[in-house]
Amino acid sequence: MGATGQMSNSAGIRQAMVAILMLVLFLNTSLLLAAGVQVKQAHTRLLNEVYYLDARLEYVLTEPMLEALHKSVPLTFVLYIEVFRQRNYLWNDGVADLEQRYQLEYLPLTQQYQVHNLNSGSLHNLPSLQVALSVLGTVVDLPLLDQNLLTTDVSYQARLQVQLDIEELPVPLRLRSYFSDEWRLRSEWYSWPLQR
Amino acid sequence: MAIATLRRLGTGFLPMVLLSVLLLASLYLMSAATQNSQEFGRVFFILLLINVVALVILLVLIGANLVRLVRQYRSRATGSRLTVRLVIIFVILALLPVSVVYYFSLGFIQRGVDSWFDVRIEQALDDTLELTRLALDERKRDLMQRSERIAQALERVPSAELADVVNRLRQQHDVQDLTLLDQDGRVLAYSSVDLGDLSPALPDGTMLRLLRQQGSYLSQDVWGRDTLEEESQALRVLVAVQNNDVAQGLILQARYPLSDRISRLTDNIQLAFAEYQQLTLLRDPLKFSFTLTLSLVLLLSCLTAVWAAFFAARRLVAPIRALAIGTRAVAAGDYHKQLPQHSNDELGFLVQSFNDMTRRIAQSRDEVESSQQLAERERAYLRAVLGRLSSGVLTLDRRHTIRTANISSGQVIGIELKDFVGQTLEQLVQVHDWLDSFVTTIGRHLDEGQQEWREEVIIFGDQGRQVLMCGGAALPGVGGRQAGHVIVFDDVTALVQAQRDAAWGEVARRLAHEIKNPLTPIQLSAERLRQKYLSTLPAEETEMLDRLTHTIIQQVEVMKRMVQAFSEYAHAPQLQLSRLALNDVIDEVLDLYRASAPGVRIGAQLDPRLPLLEADSGRIRQLLHNLVKNALEAIGDARDGQVMVLTRMLEDKRRVQIELRVEDNGPGIADDLLDQVFDPYVSSKPKGSGLGLAIVKKIVEEHGGVVRLTNKADGGSCVDARFPVDLAVQDRDVAKPVELDNTSVDVSGLDSPAGGQ
Repeated sequence: MGATGQMSNSAGIRQAMVAILMLVLFLNTSLLLAAGVQVKQAHTRLLNEVYYLDARLEYVLTEPMLEALHKSVPLTFVLYIEVFRQRNYLWNDGVADLEQRYQLEYLPLTQQYQVHNLNSGSLHNLPSLQVALSVLGTVVDLPLLDQNLLTTDVSYQARLQVQLDIEELPVPLRLRSYFSDEWRLRSEWYSWPLQR
Repeated sequence: MAIATLRRLGTGFLPMVLLSVLLLASLYLMSAATQNSQEFGRVFFILLLINVVALVILLVLIGANLVRLVRQYRSRATGSRLTVRLVIIFVILALLPVSVVYYFSLGFIQRGVDSWFDVRIEQALDDTLELTRLALDERKRDLMQRSERIAQALERVPSAELADVVNRLRQQHDVQDLTLLDQDGRVLAYSSVDLGDLSPALPDGTMLRLLRQQGSYLSQDVWGRDTLEEESQALRVLVAVQNNDVAQGLILQARYPLSDRISRLTDNIQLAFAEYQQLTLLRDPLKFSFTLTLSLVLLLSCLTAVWAAFFAARRLVAPIRALAIGTRAVAAGDYHKQLPQHSNDELGFLVQSFNDMTRRIAQSRDEVESSQQLAERERAYLRAVLGRLSSGVLTLDRRHTIRTANISSGQVIGIELKDFVGQTLEQLVQVHDWLDSFVTTIGRHLDEGQQEWREEVIIFGDQGRQVLMCGGAALPGVGGRQAGHVIVFDDVTALVQAQRDAAWGEVARRLAHEIKNPLTPIQLSAERLRQKYLSTLPAEETEMLDRLTHTIIQQVEVMKRMVQAFSEYAHAPQLQLSRLALNDVIDEVLDLYRASAPGVRIGAQLDPRLPLLEADSGRIRQLLHNLVKNALEAIGDARDGQVMVLTRMLEDKRRVQIELRVEDNGPGIADDLLDQVFDPYVSSKPKGSGLGLAIVKKIVEEHGGVVRLTNKADGGSCVDARFPVDLAVQDRDVAKPVELDNTSVDVSGLDSPAGGQ
């Protein structure tokens, strides 16, 4: 019975997940008009003298991107992460720059979506676009920098931006994307103080 | 600065070649990039930019060239028209074939890209994919079921035996490896076919999350991606295990090998399908980018060709333009123009010939100029000589047209002969008829065709009677033909007169000497005869003696007086010059005659404006006596005799003269005597020594004047004397009252009965 209970429990969780996904889907469709990418939330954790980044991003792809994706054109997204010391009258003093590249690809054979972290090499085959986008938009435990690199009594800021890398598109498509707003996908910079 | 640089860039040969090569290179790279070549794909945008910038630069260069050419054409600069024509020809030659190639290439691109797509191939690919998918799905279902069976088998296994059971289950279900994990991802049991593989390929957070969301997880993994092993694929299945001993439940990961052949085939199918899909998507962008590349190539080629057309046209036209400018300069008289010679071709030869030609022209022009200067110098020399010559010199052409006349020629005959240059002698006579004898004489000699001649001509002009000594000679002409004549003439009036006067003076002196000497003994002898025999002779004879001796004595006295007059004529006394008012003197003299000649009306018409005359008053009085006496004698016993004395001031631009005229209404002078009346012993009257008018002329000439005698149209004669007035003297003395010299007129020197004309 316990097992059944557990099963029902997991089914409940599944239903909840589906509901969330539905909600996300709904939100996505409602946001379709305002296609783009947004950093919903980002923060750093200090664990064993290493800063780890957790972030949640929300991708809404435009119609041409979706079409290209479904025609087996891989889309490459780049996460730019910067840690810097803010100075009042001078330019910011950069401490660390990090670039994370992700590739989203549609696999026609399995009708799955593949998210490929080009930095770590990890691959995920995902059953739907929504799931793939949520995977793409979930950054967990990304090691950012060593605490030793920072001066103790100075406050640091971190910021994050994500964008579609047009240069990775096939050349004929790239030509069009240079002059089209529908191929411009870039988030605003999302900044937060680096917690100690 | 920038414009200069641009111009240098626009005209230089090297930058043009360089730019063309660069453009070709960038075009090649772009074309390579369009074909999806990996290495060029990244620089595609930069290449595109470079090409567009090159296009703009070319356009600017061509624009600058065009503006310059249009400006030159508008200002009709030399060579601009030819440049325009050449540019047009070059551009047409370049653009036409390129345009044709472009048109067909566009068609080929469209058809070429379209030919990649075929409905049947697409269908076949779709079907293949579907088939593969079905096969894979079946296998996945099978594996999923197998995994779930393993999971169910593990439900009742106590946790201590899990490792053994896992190992057994792996062998039993033919699994590559089996891993049992707890919810935190810790490995509880692991079993693998490969005994050496001690580290299980653990599911990552994402997989676990998905497992929780979906209840199960299946994915196709690349096997051995992290190791050096040959790449192969496996299917990873995650399922939840509800183990009775573990409250949270466990996770089972099972990995099944996928045969190399199957995985390779599926990969191939997927790859082919994906590529085909990509192609269908990229169909239009590909066409566009091919077209764009082709258009860029065409545009760059065309613009380079146009630019090259400008360049070539200018290079070609440059020597022609230089020649045109040079020719124009030569036409304008600049014979020292030398053109720069650059090439050794036909144009270079032309330029060299032009340079030779101008050099020779310049040489001969210089020679002509120097000879012209020589001729001009000689001409000026001749002109100076002729100008200083007192003789008049005229040159006539064959039609008797006056070609040149020196200054003296006019002065000699008293007209501005220069005004008649270019007119014929006949036209000259029409204006000045008194030159008739002069012109007739010249014309006669010219018509006779004499090479050289001399003749004396007498004219009556404003200056009175003039004797001209004319001489003529034919001028040498070109080719044996006569070029015309030169006429040289001198006023020899004064000379002739002086000779004549001198001759008469000699006659008078001789007369005085030869005749005066015997006269006194004759007179004395006659008187002695009379005294001695008058008383002794009978009365009837004394009367005869008295009459005869009286006649002798009287005639001797007459002869003495005549000789005295001659003597005076021959020896003119020194002039005692003073300023006198001529009108007053005339009044005085006329008063004397009015009393003595009651039968004749003596009138005077005197100009009150008359200036003072610088003259010897005694001589002037004698002149007036002679003139009046002459007039009275001319009238003689005729009734209603009338003598008129007139004075007048003659004024013209050059001089002021006093005119004195004495007119009578007598019979006048015979025409044949007119030109000799002023010579001694010329008289129309029966009585008279013939010295009266000769003395008049002498006195007038002593005062620098001229005199002439003419017959009036209504009868009678008129003596016209003119005296020059020195204006400088007038101005100085104009305020002074004139003291009249009251010297009595000495008329005794003139033989009154014989006062001839």
